[in-house]
Amino acid sequence: MDFLEYIRLVFTDYTLRTITLGTAILGAVTGMLGSFAVLRKQSLLGDAISHAALPGIAIAFLITGTKDSNVLLLGALISGLIGTFWIRGIITKTHLKSDTALGLILSLFFGFGMLLLTFIQKQPNANQAGLDKYLFGQAATLLESDVWMMATVTGICLIILLLFWKEFKMLLFDADFTKTLGFNTKAIDILITSFIVLAIVLGLQTVGVVLMSAMLLAPAAAARQWTNSLGKMVFLAAIFGALSGVFGTAVSATQNNLSTGPVIVIIASVFVLVSFVFSPSRGLLFKQIRFIKNRRDLKLNKTLAFMYGIAETHENISHPHTVKILNNFQGFTKGTLQKLVHKNYVTLEGNMWSLTKKGFQAASNLYNQQNDDE
Amino acid sequence: MMSSAQIEIQLIASLAAIACAIPGTFLVLRKMAMISDAISHSILPGIVIGFFITHDLNSPLLILLAAATGIITVILVEYIQKTGLVKEDTAIGLVFPALFSIGVILIAKNANDVHLDVDAVLLGELAFAPFDRFIISDIDLGPKSLWVIGSILIVTIGLLFAFFKELKVSTFDAGLAASLGFSPAIMHYGLMSIASVTTVGAFDAVGAILVVALMIAPAATAYLLTNNLKRMLLYAIGFGVFCAISGYWVAHWLDASIAGSITTMLGIIFLLVYLFAPNKGIIAVLYREKQQRTEVSLLTFLLHLKNHNEEEERHVNHLNEHINWQKVRSKTVLELALKNNMIVVDNNIVSLTEKGNDFTSQAIDYIITNEDAEIEHMKDDFFLFRG
Amino acid sequence: MAQKIAVKVDDLTVAYNYKPVLWDIDLEIPEGVLMAIVGPNGAGKSTLIKSILGILKPIAGSVSIYDKPYEKQRQLVAYVPQKGSVDWDFPTTALDVVMMGTYGSLGWIKRPKQKEKKQALEALEKVGMLPFKNRQISQLSGGQQQRIFLARALVQNASIYFMDEPFQGVDATTEIAIINILKELRKAGKTVIVVHHDLQTVPEYFDWVTFLNVKKIATGPVKDIFNDDNLTKTYGINYKVSIQE
Repeated sequence: MDFLEYIRLVFTDYTLRTITLGTAILGAVTGMLGSFAVLRKQSLLGDAISHAALPGIAIAFLITGTKDSNVLLLGALISGLIGTFWIRGIITKTHLKSDTALGLILSLFFGFGMLLLTFIQKQPNANQAGLDKYLFGQAATLLESDVWMMATVTGICLIILLLFWKEFKMLLFDADFTKTLGFNTKAIDILITSFIVLAIVLGLQTVGVVLMSAMLLAPAAAARQWTNSLGKMVFLAAIFGALSGVFGTAVSATQNNLSTGPVIVIIASVFVLVSFVFSPSRGLLFKQIRFIKNRRDLKLNKTLAFMYGIAETHENISHPHTVKILNNFQGFTKGTLQKLVHKNYVTLEGNMWSLTKKGFQAASNLYNQQNDDE
Repeated sequence: MMSSAQIEIQLIASLAAIACAIPGTFLVLRKMAMISDAISHSILPGIVIGFFITHDLNSPLLILLAAATGIITVILVEYIQKTGLVKEDTAIGLVFPALFSIGVILIAKNANDVHLDVDAVLLGELAFAPFDRFIISDIDLGPKSLWVIGSILIVTIGLLFAFFKELKVSTFDAGLAASLGFSPAIMHYGLMSIASVTTVGAFDAVGAILVVALMIAPAATAYLLTNNLKRMLLYAIGFGVFCAISGYWVAHWLDASIAGSITTMLGIIFLLVYLFAPNKGIIAVLYREKQQRTEVSLLTFLLHLKNHNEEEERHVNHLNEHINWQKVRSKTVLELALKNNMIVVDNNIVSLTEKGNDFTSQAIDYIITNEDAEIEHMKDDFFLFRG
Repeated sequence: MAQKIAVKVDDLTVAYNYKPVLWDIDLEIPEGVLMAIVGPNGAGKSTLIKSILGILKPIAGSVSIYDKPYEKQRQLVAYVPQKGSVDWDFPTTALDVVMMGTYGSLGWIKRPKQKEKKQALEALEKVGMLPFKNRQISQLSGGQQQRIFLARALVQNASIYFMDEPFQGVDATTEIAIINILKELRKAGKTVIVVHHDLQTVPEYFDWVTFLNVKKIATGPVKDIFNDDNLTKTYGINYKVSIQE
């Protein structure tokens, strides 16, 4: 199946439309909530929660024998929450640090989950196939009911987000202050955390436990680079997440043998990379350009300041001087002189230069500024 | 009777556990446990590319290539952190899923050439390790994995003995280490290299995510039992080996993944220690907290008595009304103080006894002027300097 | 002098990890004073105001604001936390942060409207930060960030202001600007309580002072109690060193 055909199918084929819609919604909701996770400095908690969900899926299957994704995800939710609380318990009650607690829960729960999965595979029960889709995700297995589930949760999440936007924002920025205003910070906190856990669990079928955390982080980290407003960041993260989901599903559906999870993660990572490099205000490229420009400006200003020092000693500030004097000054080059002329700070006549009024003004401002800084 | 394959599997698992426990201990102490998670994921593309070149999962070249990917991960994470574009942890969370995904896709796209599959990536192939023999001129020297993990272990132990002092100092006081002339950067990247090589070596046996368990869980469990670095290393090794062997038999019994059941054993051991460790276990902590809560309340109460001569401030009822405690606690505190002869109650007015007065003065002195005692306390927490 | 008592602290004891950091503090702060809380590092200065504000839970004692429990009088109180306590890279603007001062009176769910925005702009004007209202907060200098925090507290339109080290890491201009605003607040009959580090400026800036080192050492008018005796009691023999710093 080639890509164009795929695009056509998205609009005509029922199954494909369901899947595409599902991944788009999933990407949007994880991107949105991921922004909060990133800003709360809980980036790796998502990783631990998603891994911790695996034994829950296996146990839910062992108990009920059903592959109904809602039942399995309920199991995932419970074991994800147990993992989260255990992490908290380890951090608050022992001297083990958060990174150790995260790594412990992540690997131990996951290992236990794998034990159960391999145990299930060996059972003579024919019904067990397909549980390993929860490792790397298989968007193709999404049913319409799954998409409805996602849409419902996303809708509720959106309503809560809009209702408590002010509270969320303030808590994220300054929890202590929020408390002094009389808001119940614990309630807000629990609300945010539960939605993050819920979003992770919803994504397991599509992206899988191993890579789910990237769905949470990458869109948010990319979005952060393009805006300084929380609202726009959340919105952009949702867009980036949805696009990663849609493109990722498209690519993995048109290729044989590719799980959805890794492809979505790669696409989300490309968003991050592009944002890191090309964002106008924070991006590395423009930062480098600004750095070079600043250095050049500094050179220019130094030359101007040097000229000012000379011109100041004369009554007439535009009294001409030979260019030769400038050679004593290290920062001086012909280029900088040309630039000063270009800016109308200096006029050149043969081998003589003189400061213009504008140049003198600029230089004296520069001088005052320096004094202010000190 | 155990077959020789069974013995070999247990041997490989045990050696992998030891080789992981040593760098793991330092990672846990340096608060870098999640870095091992990142490395274990991101070496995957290194392994796949290495496999295209060498066509041998146990080739030393492949191990070096993959370990290099691990180091690149660490450098990449640190670079992203330095740009300040995202907060600390996010950098880790961005790098390793991307690299791991590349690895998974490389495997999927070349499924015919690479005999790795996704299960092998996550779980390793310990059960098959005895079948890949190391044979030189027709002499069977045992499984290749055993040689690989054995060599890594020997190097690790050698380095541990050679640089124990430096590692110890740089782990607990990077500043002091630098002033003594041990470059923290060399120590850091040295440790990262060992961790990467070990991860690659153990990867084949136990898989990507379970390597993390072998690194972190034994060390974390040991850390709940001791504050002494040498003991912590020994305990971690002990737990690792115990879980490797018992995990093997659990897997045998359940007919399930060996790596999965080793991890489950690690989880059970951690849970037990987490609950029951004598000083730092959750039960001990909760008990101590309760005790301390009462003791602090007692101190507060005594201090209040010392501060106030007015009778109304020292009336029994004042405890509830004014100090704002719940009834139950104030009663416990009052009884405790009476039992210890700290106070006398006369006509519902509480007064300090001489002993109570002395105790309170000393306690105030301790709290206010205790800069030294405070450091003493911190030393207890930071233990390892005393070796 | 029959002054009203703005803040009354009774037998307040606070412990971190069961080690007492504040012991049996009794404190009465009269209305309309500009008070410094001074004491060595680790004396519990920040802890004291955080416990008064209910951020930390004391193990004993009570706090009342104008004779009523603190919980019922929140709207009378404004708080300026330490500048270092928040992440200044947070994606928000100066105006946005100042608007947060209005959230308390708005309560749950209700959004700030034009009226709240006007209040925020006025507060920004007062601290001289109006031209920076749309700046991302990480692009402000330390002094400017502190002024934003001050503006946020001004918006709360409270009677009592608690400030945690507002002069830490700010430039001289900001320090003067802040102290002028604080003096204005006092003139308007407000009570201002400041955790303060620089002993030298105490007599110049404040009219009331509390010496604190785990226990309350002394509290009262600066002119009466700001003396070597109390300084020594608070800082031990080393206090002269801290003055020189």
